[in-house]
Amino acid sequence: MIGSQARSRPLSAVSPRKTSFLKQRKFLIGGALVVLAIAYLVYSSLQGSTVYYMTPTEVKNQAQSLEGQVIRVGGTVVDGPVNFDGKNMILKFEVTDNTTTFPVVYKGVVPDAFKPGVDVVIEGKYTAAGVFEATSLLAKCPSKYVPEL
Amino acid sequence: MSFGYTDIGYAALLIAFIAAGFSAISFIVGKVQGYSELLEAGRRAVYAVCGLFTLASLVMIYALVSRDFGVSYVAQYTDRALSLPYTLSAFWAGQEGSLLFWGWLLSIFAVIVLVQNRTKHRELMPFVMAILMATTTFFLMLLTMVTPPFLRLPSAPADGQGLNPLLQNMGMFFHPPTTYLGYVGFAIPFAFAMAALITGKVDDEWIRSTRRWTLFAWFFLSLGNFFGAQWAYVELGWGGFWAWDPVENASFMPWLTGTAYLHSVMIQQRRGMLKVWNMVLIIVTYALTIFGTFLTRSGILSSVHSFGQSNLGPFFLAFIAMALVLSVGLLIDRLPYLRSENELDSMMSRESSFLLNNLILLGAAVATFWGVIFPLVSEAVRGVKITVSMPFFNQVNGPIFLGLLLIMGICPLIGWRKASKENLIRNFLYPTVLTIGFAVIAYVLGLRDIYALIAVSLCVFVVSVIILEIWRGTRARRRTAGENYLVALCSLVWHNKPRYGGYIVHLSIVMIAMGIIGAFAFKTEVDATVTPGEMINVDRFSLKYGGLSEYPRGDKDVVAASVEVYNGGKRVGYVYPAKLFTAKQEQPTTEVAIRTTAMEDLYVILGGWDKDQSASFKVLVNPLVVWIWIGGAVMLLGTAIAFWPDEREKRRLDARYRAGGA
Repeated sequence: MIGSQARSRPLSAVSPRKTSFLKQRKFLIGGALVVLAIAYLVYSSLQGSTVYYMTPTEVKNQAQSLEGQVIRVGGTVVDGPVNFDGKNMILKFEVTDNTTTFPVVYKGVVPDAFKPGVDVVIEGKYTAAGVFEATSLLAKCPSKYVPEL
Repeated sequence: MSFGYTDIGYAALLIAFIAAGFSAISFIVGKVQGYSELLEAGRRAVYAVCGLFTLASLVMIYALVSRDFGVSYVAQYTDRALSLPYTLSAFWAGQEGSLLFWGWLLSIFAVIVLVQNRTKHRELMPFVMAILMATTTFFLMLLTMVTPPFLRLPSAPADGQGLNPLLQNMGMFFHPPTTYLGYVGFAIPFAFAMAALITGKVDDEWIRSTRRWTLFAWFFLSLGNFFGAQWAYVELGWGGFWAWDPVENASFMPWLTGTAYLHSVMIQQRRGMLKVWNMVLIIVTYALTIFGTFLTRSGILSSVHSFGQSNLGPFFLAFIAMALVLSVGLLIDRLPYLRSENELDSMMSRESSFLLNNLILLGAAVATFWGVIFPLVSEAVRGVKITVSMPFFNQVNGPIFLGLLLIMGICPLIGWRKASKENLIRNFLYPTVLTIGFAVIAYVLGLRDIYALIAVSLCVFVVSVIILEIWRGTRARRRTAGENYLVALCSLVWHNKPRYGGYIVHLSIVMIAMGIIGAFAFKTEVDATVTPGEMINVDRFSLKYGGLSEYPRGDKDVVAASVEVYNGGKRVGYVYPAKLFTAKQEQPTTEVAIRTTAMEDLYVILGGWDKDQSASFKVLVNPLVVWIWIGGAVMLLGTAIAFWPDEREKRRLDARYRAGGA
């Protein structure tokens, strides 16, 4: 049997456990306080930092309830009109999930990986006019690079 | 199809798969049944697996270097224009190559462990090797059956698809290998821990024999995170170095638990406490290293560097589940052996402060883990897809790390068992007074960001505690040995390497903390569009845009802006933010211009331009960032010192070992 040799050996230097519970109680309470504090921190931080992650179709369907709310949308850049105003750093393109397509306006530095056909994650607000005003734009950077032929 | 050299690679992996499986089984059977021939066969199989892995890796290297685009992997990640170093780095650019590299490292580590312990740990070793070989078998199964690295294309294309331009950065040579060394390295202490549980030899033997390996793994995991951060900073061009991306978190979580483990084993060695806790920490760390690979490779979470979907997810999940069930089950079964030899005596003691440090580190890991998996939980439970963004991780980890800084100041010098009043006064009175004085002055001088104020004050506290300790030691040595201050300092460090190496690592953490505080609390950022001759003002800096120029560099076409930098009205030089274009890959690469000083980084991104030469820039002033990288170098020094063999530490542990009578 594995470990049978060890099992028969007396345990070395184990201190008496009489006062154990009383003695250790304050440590248990202290530890529990730390754990609770961290749990509270996680809980409270989570409240303000979660953002809906949706597809363009879901956004369009729930457009009314989403008004004014910051959301994230994942989709593909439409292989078509992409307009970059380098002077004002305003990028206009369309994003799609193959069912729904809507225009996006983004102001800021365009990530290198951005181009038509690439998957992007945009964060911002969907306006009543049906335009997505993005404040952040992430383009997926696959380690595998497949150029269009 | 004719027999090609890549078939040698495939055959090597297949034979290695069988050999590794055989080795794992024969170690267990040989040990349990007492067949020494089987044990010997198992040992030989370990060498064979390493040899075969090396052969397969050489085949991969040959395929890359000879630019054999008939091999699918080579065609996917390289092309003719790619320089030789980057062609070699493509070894770990893709999934198949990464797994091959990982397995190769593990097989090399297994051989090193075997050689190191040829005559030692006769009870533990068979199980240690069985666990290492079982892990190797898992990776070989993936390499032979799920993602074989040597697939050939029906016909060789004229050229490959090239390496993603973002990967063509110095970071590619440093970040992946160091991270892998860290990940793989934690398999060794885990294997020893499990062997200790299996055999019931749960005294400190397994911890002693893996101290170096733990330091090694921790060190490389730290380096991996540094290189990753540095790479993101110079290449991704958004101005930061850490985005709490799932893949970043993947290597950060085992670092946290590994750090906790590194500290808590000291308590077990000194006082025979926290035995179960240490087991839990090493199991969690090992599981997290596998989970990290899973996150990186499965594409289950959307990440900026998600590497495309793959079919590996279920295999990794199954392996993690199996490892967790077996190791936790074993741990529960062996709980009676893991009784503490001592109890906590006082809140004000070294033991308590170590325990608090552990709780905080583990808390950070759990909080981060929760943030990582919350989108999955939310989708599964509520059917709502959400993402957890950067603010969550910053808000949660900010206070946690402040707590950690405080503990880092107290922990190394508070007395064991129950700290005496003298101990507290001696070690902490001056630093506390200094820290409060500093905080008051900083507040009066205008540092009103409460977070930053606390953080910087805690840094002052930690540094002053450590310097006071080193100063006392040096002075005492100078008196007794009659050495001058410098010699006394060096010999002080030299004669207690683990301890002073640790202090140096702590100082490096303070440097890194300063860099992080600077970047998070005092960053200034400006977006501006200017015509040639116009100025952009950021913080103390004024930037005068001179114009654009276009010129070829190698196979690339560079568009660079020339920007004259003034610091407080004085001209200090030029920076040239640029975009690089290659004919083949229409994706440009941004070349950020960074002007680094000890005080701050001026970080200039060229966003775009117009025909009339007007251009838009994003300019950031990131205070103190360079201290993160300097801290990384200091950490390297500290770990090297702690790693170095130390006679005194060995004697002390030997003494405890004999006294313990285990």
